[in-house]
Amino acid sequence: MNKSMLKITAFAIAIIGFYIYITIYVTGLSGTGGGESVGGVSPEAGEKIFWGDGQCSTCHKIGTSGSATRGPDQEGLSSRAEERAKELGMPSGLDYMVESILEPEKYVVKGYDKIMPKVFDPPIMLSREKILAVLAYLQTLGGEPDIASIMKYKDKIPEASKKKVKPWVSPIVVDAKEGEKIFFDETRPVTCGKCHIVNGKGKKVGPELTGIGAIQTPEYFLESILTPSAKIVKGYETMYVITTDGIPYNGLIKSETENELVLLKEESGEIEEVTIPKTEIQEMKKQDVSIMPGNISELLSVKDFYGIVSFLQSLK
Amino acid sequence: MNKKILLQLTKRSTFILIFLLFISFVSSMSLFQKAFAAEEAPAQTSKEGGVAAPGVELPQFDASVLAAAPAAVAGQPATGTGTTTAAVEEEEVGPVQYRTFFGIDSRVVVWIVSELHLMFAAFVLGVPIFAVIVEIVGFKGGDIKYDKMAKEFTKLLSAAFATTASLGGLLGFCLFGLYPEFMGHMTNVFAPTMYVYALMFFGEAFTLYGYYYSWEILKGTALRKWFHIMLGVMLNLFGTGLMFLTNSWATYMMSPAGIVPTTGKVLSLYHAMYNPLWMPVNIHRLIANVCFGGFVVGAYAAVKFLGSKSEEEKAHYDWMGYVGNFIGVGALIPLPFAGYWLGREVYSSSPVMGNIMMGGAFSWTFIVQAILIGMLFIGANYYLWLGMGRIKGSERYTKFIKYLIFVIFMCFAVWLTPHNLPLSGEERAMIGEQYHPFSKYFGVMAAKNAVVNLIILATFFSFLIYRRSNKGELAPFSEQGRAGKIGIFSAVIFCLLMLVSYAVSLNFVELEANIKSFVKPLIGALYIQSFFICFAAFLTFKNKGKLAQSMLFAVTACIAVLYFWYYGFQVMQKANLVLRYLSVTQVSIVMSCLIMNAIIDIFMFRKAKLVGGIVWGKMPVRSQYALILLCVVIVILMGLMGFIRSGLRMDWHIYGVLQDTSQWAYTPTLSYMGRIVGLIVALFLGLVAFVFWLANLGDKKKSEKAEEYEDAVVGYEKH
Repeated sequence: MNKSMLKITAFAIAIIGFYIYITIYVTGLSGTGGGESVGGVSPEAGEKIFWGDGQCSTCHKIGTSGSATRGPDQEGLSSRAEERAKELGMPSGLDYMVESILEPEKYVVKGYDKIMPKVFDPPIMLSREKILAVLAYLQTLGGEPDIASIMKYKDKIPEASKKKVKPWVSPIVVDAKEGEKIFFDETRPVTCGKCHIVNGKGKKVGPELTGIGAIQTPEYFLESILTPSAKIVKGYETMYVITTDGIPYNGLIKSETENELVLLKEESGEIEEVTIPKTEIQEMKKQDVSIMPGNISELLSVKDFYGIVSFLQSLK
Repeated sequence: MNKKILLQLTKRSTFILIFLLFISFVSSMSLFQKAFAAEEAPAQTSKEGGVAAPGVELPQFDASVLAAAPAAVAGQPATGTGTTTAAVEEEEVGPVQYRTFFGIDSRVVVWIVSELHLMFAAFVLGVPIFAVIVEIVGFKGGDIKYDKMAKEFTKLLSAAFATTASLGGLLGFCLFGLYPEFMGHMTNVFAPTMYVYALMFFGEAFTLYGYYYSWEILKGTALRKWFHIMLGVMLNLFGTGLMFLTNSWATYMMSPAGIVPTTGKVLSLYHAMYNPLWMPVNIHRLIANVCFGGFVVGAYAAVKFLGSKSEEEKAHYDWMGYVGNFIGVGALIPLPFAGYWLGREVYSSSPVMGNIMMGGAFSWTFIVQAILIGMLFIGANYYLWLGMGRIKGSERYTKFIKYLIFVIFMCFAVWLTPHNLPLSGEERAMIGEQYHPFSKYFGVMAAKNAVVNLIILATFFSFLIYRRSNKGELAPFSEQGRAGKIGIFSAVIFCLLMLVSYAVSLNFVELEANIKSFVKPLIGALYIQSFFICFAAFLTFKNKGKLAQSMLFAVTACIAVLYFWYYGFQVMQKANLVLRYLSVTQVSIVMSCLIMNAIIDIFMFRKAKLVGGIVWGKMPVRSQYALILLCVVIVILMGLMGFIRSGLRMDWHIYGVLQDTSQWAYTPTLSYMGRIVGLIVALFLGLVAFVFWLANLGDKKKSEKAEEYEDAVVGYEKH
C-alpha cells in the first residue's frame, strides 16, 4: 500500500472513530449509560419509557408536556402520592404508586375512568426493570428519586407476560382499510369522523382516537360503540340544561363565557351547536350520558361494525 | 473483441443464474408452505362464510360478562363457540423459531449483511441514474470527456454489481436460516412478488452488462448511441423496479397491511405492497441513492487524484471529483424534504412509532444524524470554496464565504440543540420547568425546520457563486432566444402549480374553525411567494436577473426561515395540528426559490463572457480529503438511518403482527449501535476499495503493456 493510501485509510478510520466517540458521548448524555441495552433503573431511563415504550403519555401529560387528558396530569405526582398514601393509611407514596401500577383499577383518581391497562400484560408488556425505571422517573415529579427504596419492590412487580400476543381477529373477514373509509364516510347515516379525530382527520367533538389501538382492547371498542354511556372519557360528559322557557338541552359544552353557553347536541346523527344566554339558564347539571348515539348498531351492517373495530384496533 | 465480450457476459450470466436458482428455490419452498396451508384454508373460509351470512347479529354487549371473562386481556380475542376467533384460539400456536449463527448474535449477523447489501445496492442503483445523464450530456454537447467519465462510472458499477448480488444471496440464506418463522410469514405474503423480483433481476443484469460492454460497439452513429442510452434507461427502470419491490417488503414490516394478522392470510397483496410507508421510502431511497452514489464516486476520484502521477490524470480526476460532489450535493438538497415526508407518514401510520422516533428511544439518534448531515453540508461547501481557487475571477466572490461559514455553523448549532436535556430533580426545581428556559426554543421542530431550510439556501448560494466565478459580462436576455423564454416560463408554471395548488388545497383542510384560522397565514405566504416568482421572471426578462435572484433569496429567507420560525412557535402552542401544513408550505417555498433561481442562473450566464478559465487539477490536497470525508460520512449516515428505520419496530419483526421473542429483542444503546455501524462502514469501504482495485487491474495491465510497447519502439528507433 502506498503512502497516500495509508493516509486515506487513517483519515477514514479517524472519521469512523469520531462517529463512534459521538455515539458513546451521546449515550452518556442521554442517561442510558454505556451498556448493551437501553435500561437500568434510573429516572432518565424511566422518562424515556414514559414517553416511549410504556405509552404512558397516550393518557397522561406532565404539566405542559404532552396533551393527553384521559388520565390525570402527573405534574407533582410524587408529593400528591404521599398525601394519598397518608389518606389511605399506606406506608409511603411509593407504595401508592406501585399499587396503582399493579392494580390500576384499585385507586382511581376521582373524575377519571378505569381505563388504565396493566402495563406488564399485552400489548404494552413492560419488563420489571422498565417498570422500576418508570417509578424512579415518577418520583422525580415533585420529589427526589430513591432507587434503593424502589428496588425493594423488585419481587412484587411481575415480569412481563410471556403470553404470545395474538392480535384480535374479527369473527368475520373485514379489512381495517374499509373500516377507515366507513369511519370517515359522510354519506352514511352515522359518521364517526364527524366527532372523532384520527391522525389529524375528523372533528373534535368526542375524544381523539389517534393511537387508541395501542392502549385499548377490542372489547373496549365494542362496549364504547354499542353502549356509549357505559364509560365516558373524562371531559366528555354531557350537560343537562333547562332554560327559563322550560326547553331542555342535552349536550357537550363547547365553550362558556360570562354571558353565554355553547352546547353541542346530537340530532338525528348530526351535531348541532346551540347558544344559550346565561340569563336564560334555569338549571344545569352534569349527566352520565354520552352524546354519542346509542343506536349505532342499528345503523351499521355487521361487516361495517367489525370493520370500524378493526380500524380502531389498528391505530397503534 | 465481440467474442471476448460474449465470454464475459456468459460468465456473469452463469453467476446470476445460480443466484436466481436460489431465489426460485426459496420461492418454491414458500409455495410448498402455501400448499400445506391451503389444506386448512377451505375449512376456514367456510367458517368465515358462515359467520358472514345474512342474519348474523351484532354482539349484544353485557358488561358483567366482559368483567368476568378471563380472556378479556388486552390484545386477546373475544371467545365464543363456533366463531372463527374460537377456532383460532384452539389452534396450537408453535413457538417462534430462531437459530443462531455458530453461537453469534443472529441479529448482528443479519444487521451487518443486510446493511452491506443495502450500501452496495444503493451504489448500484444510484450510479446508473447519473451515468446515463452524463452520457446524454456528452452526446448532445459533443464532448467526449463526459462520455469517458460515464463509462468510468459504469465500470465501477459492473464491479460492484456482482458483490451486491452475492451479499443479497448471503442475506437471503441468513434470513431463512436464522429467522425461519419470520421468513415463512414474509414468503407467505410476498411469494408472487419474489418471482417478479427474480425476473427483474435478469433484466437488471442483462441491461447492466449490456450497457457496459456495448459502450464501444454502439458508438459511431446517432442511432447506435441512442440505442445505447436506451439500454441505460432500461437499466434504471429495472433497478428502480427492484428497489421498489424490496422496499414494499421492508415497509410492510413497519406498517403491515392487507393481511389477517392471526393467520397471515393475504387479503390484498396490493395493500401489503402499497402499505402506508412504501411510497415515502421509495422516494427517499431513490434520492438518497443518487446522493450516495455521487459522494462515493467523488471519493473514488479523490483517491485516484491523490495517487496521480501526471497533470493530465490529476485534471481528469479533479473534474470527476467535482462532478461526483455536484451530484451528491444536488441530491442532498431535496433529501431533508423527502425525509420529512417519510417521518410524517411514520407518525400517520403509527403515532406510537412516531413518538418513539422523535420523542422516545430514538430521539437522540437524530442528534447524531444532525451532526452527520451538518458535516456533509459543511464538507460540501468547503470543497466548493476550495474549488473556487482553481477558477480565475473567483476572487470577486470570496468575501461571501466568511458570512456563509457563520450562517452554516449557527444553523448547525441550532439543529444540534436537543429539545429535552435530561435534568435532575434538583436542576428541574431550580429552573422551575421541565425544559431549559433558553435552549428549548432552539430544540423544537419550528427552529430545526427553519435552520435546515437556511442551510439549504446557503449551500445553494455557495454553488451559485462557484458557478459564476469565472463569468464576466452577461449577454442580454433577448440573446438567449426561444430556449431562454421557454425555460423561464416552464419554471414559473411549475412553481406556480406547486405553490397555488397547495394554497388552494389548504382552503379545504378539515379542521375546527379556531384551529383553521392558523392556516390562513400559510395560504398568504404561498400567494406572496407566487407573486415574487412571477416578478422574478419579469425582472429576468428585463435583464435584471441578478436582482431577481437576490430578491427571491431575500423573500424566501424572510418567509420560510424568519417568519415561519416565529410562526412555528405560535402554531406549536396553539394549533399543533397545523404544524404539518406549515412544514409543507415551508418546503414548497424553498423549493420554488431553488428551482427559479437555478433556471434564471442557467440562462443568465449561458452566453456570459469568461474572465478566466478553470484550471482542472489545481486543487489543494485537503480538498480531496473533503471528498473522502463526504463519502465516509454519507456511508455512516446510511448505516445510522438503516438502524433507525429498522429499530423503530422495537420488539416486533412485523409491527403489531409478529413479535420478536428472541433474546435480541431489545433496542441497543447508541454506543453499541455506533460500534456496529462503524464496523459495517469499515467493512463496506474496505470491500469497495478492493472491488474498485480489481476493476482497475485490467486497465493497469493494459497501460503497463502500452508503456512497454512505447519503450520498445523508442529503443528500436534509437538503434
